[in-house]
Amino acid sequence: MKKIIKYTGSVLLVAVVAYNSVYFKKLDEVKAGATSFDAAKYAEKFWTEKLTPHVAKAIEIGQLLTLLQTDKNKAFADHAHALGIGNVKYFLVKGSGIVKSVEENQVMVKIESEREKPEVAIATEYVFGNAVRDASGEIDINAFTNSMDFNNVSGELNKIIREKVIPPFRSKVKTGDKVTFSGAIELNKEHLSTRSIEIIPIDLKIVNE
Amino acid sequence: MNLQTYRANLIRFQSLIALFILCLALSILSDKFLTVSNAWNVMRQISVNICISTGMTLIVLTAGIDLSVGSVLALCGAITAGLLRNGIEVPSGNLYIGFTLLGAVIAGILTGSFLGAFNGWAITKFKVPPFVATLAMLTIARGLTMLWTQGFPISGLGDTFLYFGTGWLLGIPVPVWISGIIVLIAVLITNKTRLGRYIYAIGGNESASKLSGINVNRVKIIVYTIAGALAAIGGILVTSRLDSAQPNAGTSYELDSIAAVVIGGTSLSGGRGSILGTVQGAIIIGVLNNGLVLLNVSPFWQQVVKGFVILLAVIIDKSNSKND
Repeated sequence: MKKIIKYTGSVLLVAVVAYNSVYFKKLDEVKAGATSFDAAKYAEKFWTEKLTPHVAKAIEIGQLLTLLQTDKNKAFADHAHALGIGNVKYFLVKGSGIVKSVEENQVMVKIESEREKPEVAIATEYVFGNAVRDASGEIDINAFTNSMDFNNVSGELNKIIREKVIPPFRSKVKTGDKVTFSGAIELNKEHLSTRSIEIIPIDLKIVNE
Repeated sequence: MNLQTYRANLIRFQSLIALFILCLALSILSDKFLTVSNAWNVMRQISVNICISTGMTLIVLTAGIDLSVGSVLALCGAITAGLLRNGIEVPSGNLYIGFTLLGAVIAGILTGSFLGAFNGWAITKFKVPPFVATLAMLTIARGLTMLWTQGFPISGLGDTFLYFGTGWLLGIPVPVWISGIIVLIAVLITNKTRLGRYIYAIGGNESASKLSGINVNRVKIIVYTIAGALAAIGGILVTSRLDSAQPNAGTSYELDSIAAVVIGGTSLSGGRGSILGTVQGAIIIGVLNNGLVLLNVSPFWQQVVKGFVILLAVIIDKSNSKND
């Protein structure tokens, strides 16, 4: 009798647990309800609705470089963004300057600054990484269900830069041109070096009077 | 107190003494160490190691070893996350099997139990040395994790699932509750049940245990199964804490686990040791990790220091065994 109660109890327990553990649906109904993530569409929307408006509020690169020399912590606290922990942070910057040289992979620009006039490199060939995606601080990782989708957004943003931002600029720019630019840069807070800053461009214009 | 009693007490409390000295030194060297938030931080971090080290202790007490806990942890975390997020699709039957949180967690734990049981079966049925059998499982489970995840993390698991790894209950982090309950059950098993006595007996003298009628193979399979289940719980905690099942999660966790067991005074030759000793060992490893980070020691040096601490613990263990 005891055994019967024991076995019946066990079976009931398993049944209750199983009933609360799984559910069944028709696969075609589930698939019809699911929407797949379109990274290109998302990147396009992010570019026009969030990134481009945010660029107007970006810090002048000369001002940032000065601030980095005088108060590094404030510069990072006020202007840097990053999604993960660590020393590498991204800044959204803008500025203007004179083209010093047009090289195979980059355009060297001497920026207009109140104090010194450092040179920066605008990347025109190798546009990779997450700098543009992360620099604005306007993207929320929690809105993505997996990191593959999230990383694909970076890929699509970089594609926009490679296909739409760089070609019209690259085809016309020459040494001595005055240019305005905005873009994203990457700096390491712990091992800070401002000697070879590379800008991943978001907007590039030749503004010779 | 004669010299022998003094020595016995010293051996008995060696882990606690080491922990006290470590905490004292770190309190002097870093003003951030002795704070309530850091203490909870350490406890939260070691919860996973306590889970897997509890299972490892049971295995080491039988004079075995399990090198697969890290990989099993990763696979079970990934299976839980995968089922919770994607369910199972059966295209031939136009069927979608969805899993609730309870279902996904149970599936993860059952997977760990099955892999543990498989380890035990291989060790007892084919007399494969535990080192080799579990080394094979280390590779198998890691490969299965890669297959299941396709090498990508599985994220976005929901707030309720996150509660396991990041929540608080009555002012204490949930992972600490979970590891505490596991420790409590394991202490009861080892001290108050027949299974516990069998585990010690097998580790002390396997042949004598067989001759006295203990079903050694059955006990070993049970022990490896429990260790697999605990590794799975560790995997669920890690996945929940990160809100993501990482394909490379749990890499080298087996080393931290073995270190906690050995530092806690459990003999690698079996038959001697305790769950509470392992908890102390896990706390020492956790405090050591935390202290080295607070002192800004390079991660490469951290590995060197940890290696020497483990070596020291094994040397002390050998010395104690010899004197016994």
